[in-house]
Amino acid sequence: MDAGGISDLDLEKYDADEQVKIICLGDSAVGKSKLMERFLMDGYRPQQLSTYALTLYKYTTTINGQTILVDFWDTAGQERFQSMHPSYYHKSHACIMVFDVQRKITYKNLPNWYKELREYRPEIPCLVVANKIDADIKVTQKSFNFAKKQGLPFYFVSAADGTNVVKVFKDAIQMALSYKKNSNDFMDEVMRELENFDLESKEETSDKEEETQEGKPDSA
Amino acid sequence: MSIVAKQCGVKFIPPSIVLIYENKNTSKMRKRIIPVRNFSQYSDCSQAAERMKHHVRHSVYLESVSLAQLERLHLILRDHLQGLSLDQSLAVHRGSDPNDEDLNKLSDEELNRRKAQMDELFERNRRRKEDPDFVYDLEVEFPENSVRETCSWDEEQSDDDEF
Repeated sequence: MDAGGISDLDLEKYDADEQVKIICLGDSAVGKSKLMERFLMDGYRPQQLSTYALTLYKYTTTINGQTILVDFWDTAGQERFQSMHPSYYHKSHACIMVFDVQRKITYKNLPNWYKELREYRPEIPCLVVANKIDADIKVTQKSFNFAKKQGLPFYFVSAADGTNVVKVFKDAIQMALSYKKNSNDFMDEVMRELENFDLESKEETSDKEEETQEGKPDSA
Repeated sequence: MSIVAKQCGVKFIPPSIVLIYENKNTSKMRKRIIPVRNFSQYSDCSQAAERMKHHVRHSVYLESVSLAQLERLHLILRDHLQGLSLDQSLAVHRGSDPNDEDLNKLSDEELNRRKAQMDELFERNRRRKEDPDFVYDLEVEFPENSVRETCSWDEEQSDDDEF
């Protein structure tokens, strides 16, 4: 395991070519963590950063001979506030947005999540995932218009039986990488830099990282 | 056989689920009464609903009936067995449609309870690495064709249609 602690929230590292940050969004209990666990398979222990209501999953893969380090950010209950801290979105390269096909309200909330995402990250690829199709396979015969209307890729998925889980994550990594390569929202980056100035400077001045995390419970 | 469920109800004596459905092949409306067996006031309604949903003979008729609805029907049957009147029972369950419940607003304890309920189904449908037919990268295509029916969740949408 990594050293852990606040160093993992060093957002600068996501500027490196071989590092991408992919975030998960969606209501409570739609299965975000279950999807992560299915992709990474059991035995994997994520890092709980409870101060930040955040779970980090680290993943390494090789694409075209290059080693790619992927950090998946999962919400750990932060979604309860119907909104995420700006640093959750900051420097992310792709977003996996999940709803539960068994619960209409989780679908109805997608526009809210999408709106917040676009406030911070107007251009990053966003994948829409309809989870729990194992509960009712009939839903796969239906069309869900939200993704189509936004022009977003859409996936029918089951974290339980594994249907299309790996595909979603592989596609997300690919999209994150190509976004990073071709990104031209430089202005967007500059704006975010300014907005996150407080957060960043706080992190840069913290030499004793582990202690800082413990010592500042109000920084989340 | 192509079955489309039109209406569901319950019968208290003997405890049964009543289904009005259309057979699309013959365009005929039919009624099917499905007895609820081995069911008492202490039974687990979600398990009983699951059992019925996947029943050898009944499942084909219940394909278009959601598990949640079957569970609600079982809840009404169980309330009756516990001595509640139909009105009381409906009053208790009105507004508790899991479809409309915003889990973001629940307490930690309540949320965990709901997650545990969902985990039951998850574990039952779960394919594990040890399973002989396990495929890690399981890809299934759900081809989008023109006859694909629009989800009713979209139809109701108009006022809150920001995007």
